[in-house]
Amino acid sequence: MSSFLSAQRRPEGAGPGTGPAGDAIAGVPVLFDGVGQTFRTGGRVTRALERVDLEVEAGEFVAILGPSGCGKSTLMKIAAGLIAPSEGQVSIGGTVVRGPWTKLGVVFQSPVLLDWRNVLDNVLVQLELRGIDPAAYRDRAHALLRSVGLEGFADRMPRELSGGMRQRTAIVRGLIHDPPLLMMDEPFGALDALTREQMRIDLEKLWLSRRQTTLFITHGISEAVALADRVVVMTPRPGRIDRIIPIDLPRPRNKAVISSARFTATCDEITELFMKNGVIQY
Amino acid sequence: MPTAKGDAASGSGRFAAWLRRRIGLILVFVALFLLWEYAVKIFGIKEYLLPPPTRIWTEFLKRWPTVMAGAWITGQEIVGGYLLAVVVSIPLALAVVRWRFVEESLYPVIVFLQIIPKIAIAPLFIIWFGFGFGPKLLIVFLLCFFPIVVSSVAGFKSLDPDVMDFARTTGAGGLRLFLKIRLPQALPGIFTGLKVGAALAATAAVVAEFVASDRGLGYLLQQYNGQLETPMVFATIVLLSIMGLVVYYAVEWLERLVIPWHVSQRPNDVTGI
Repeated sequence: MSSFLSAQRRPEGAGPGTGPAGDAIAGVPVLFDGVGQTFRTGGRVTRALERVDLEVEAGEFVAILGPSGCGKSTLMKIAAGLIAPSEGQVSIGGTVVRGPWTKLGVVFQSPVLLDWRNVLDNVLVQLELRGIDPAAYRDRAHALLRSVGLEGFADRMPRELSGGMRQRTAIVRGLIHDPPLLMMDEPFGALDALTREQMRIDLEKLWLSRRQTTLFITHGISEAVALADRVVVMTPRPGRIDRIIPIDLPRPRNKAVISSARFTATCDEITELFMKNGVIQY
Repeated sequence: MPTAKGDAASGSGRFAAWLRRRIGLILVFVALFLLWEYAVKIFGIKEYLLPPPTRIWTEFLKRWPTVMAGAWITGQEIVGGYLLAVVVSIPLALAVVRWRFVEESLYPVIVFLQIIPKIAIAPLFIIWFGFGFGPKLLIVFLLCFFPIVVSSVAGFKSLDPDVMDFARTTGAGGLRLFLKIRLPQALPGIFTGLKVGAALAATAAVVAEFVASDRGLGYLLQQYNGQLETPMVFATIVLLSIMGLVVYYAVEWLERLVIPWHVSQRPNDVTGI
């Protein structure tokens, strides 16, 4: 697999008004201000999130790490404006989110592809739904598909693909419009270990070249540490920020970095946090 | 990663495959006909009780112009009533999904009316609208209408919440969202209703003709029955069945054409890693 890098320019070039310049930080800051969430279904009240305060800098890569059911997906949906929080608010680039935020790319846990469109058209639907002519993005779509190993699969239907290939299509769809903010909810969850590792490497390359602000939700400790500038460790439900751990490992996080003692020590530190919370028990 | 594309089966190859798959069915049919033919002859069963298949065929060949003229009338009732149902039900289903007050006021009434045995209303239609083509069309329409409305409403409502979440992050709304997401997602449900309706259309036309008519296959069926012309009764039934099948398979063919992604969702289609 080649990297995402070759696909990083918009087809019409990076002139003024056509998109963010290649060298500038493309991201926007995201501010979580006392975000809490309570779900009421029937007579049952579920406290999903407890007062989340978090400041994500422009161009920062933040991993939100927590056990299943800790409300991390809810947190992402709140940030994307898909769910209104019970308390608090999220602002993106200084604007309070009140309803679906569209200047972003999302990748969900499941691929969420449209069964009636082939791989290429599933990617391009991102633009069609935005009212943008997809023709100008075809080359970029092909380049991105190539970079995730889907070369030659552009005209396949989702049902013809494996789960991993579908998810990679979804990732390309989340990136095709070059968003300043990327939200990924356990995007590699359905991938096999080898593809997962390659996707992590590719995602870092992509992020290094564009510096879009990235919220990466995961329950993989080493995945979070390997990717993020900061790892936000969540407690079990109701999800609350347990600790924020800065990861000052050098980039790119190549094999030497991943196998370094500092990397292992950071992972151990997080494991111990989860042991303290009873998430991991020996 | 696999890159080889599966070779599309050629037309003749597909037919051979179909033949292989259906060979059992074809043999059963042939065996049944042979059994019927010879059982009737061996046991000396009276023709007005059960004529042998060859007798039905020869009788049909003798009198086909009358039967075909009836089929032409009945066919018009089937197709006309069905198309009328399609044209009315799908927009109505859209209105139910689009406007809450339609769903809360009109839709419950429609669902309630569905409980009335439509065939029982047929005599009333004769009183109201007479013996002509109109009341037959209306009865076919009435029988096809409900399943199409109900399935289409269900189709338009069966939105994948994750897909809708994705769509919302793009800011798409109105017509664009409808054409690119909601309509394609609803099509499998709509076609379910269209197929149920198609299966009912022929029955509806014949029942309408039974009640009061001076033409059409339903009328002929009654005539032949009254005169104990059993071979012609059989011939008419076979012709009616064929017409019903043609309508049903036309809809199914359209379904394959419009939503191949849904029709061919079979687990053995999965390729890849």
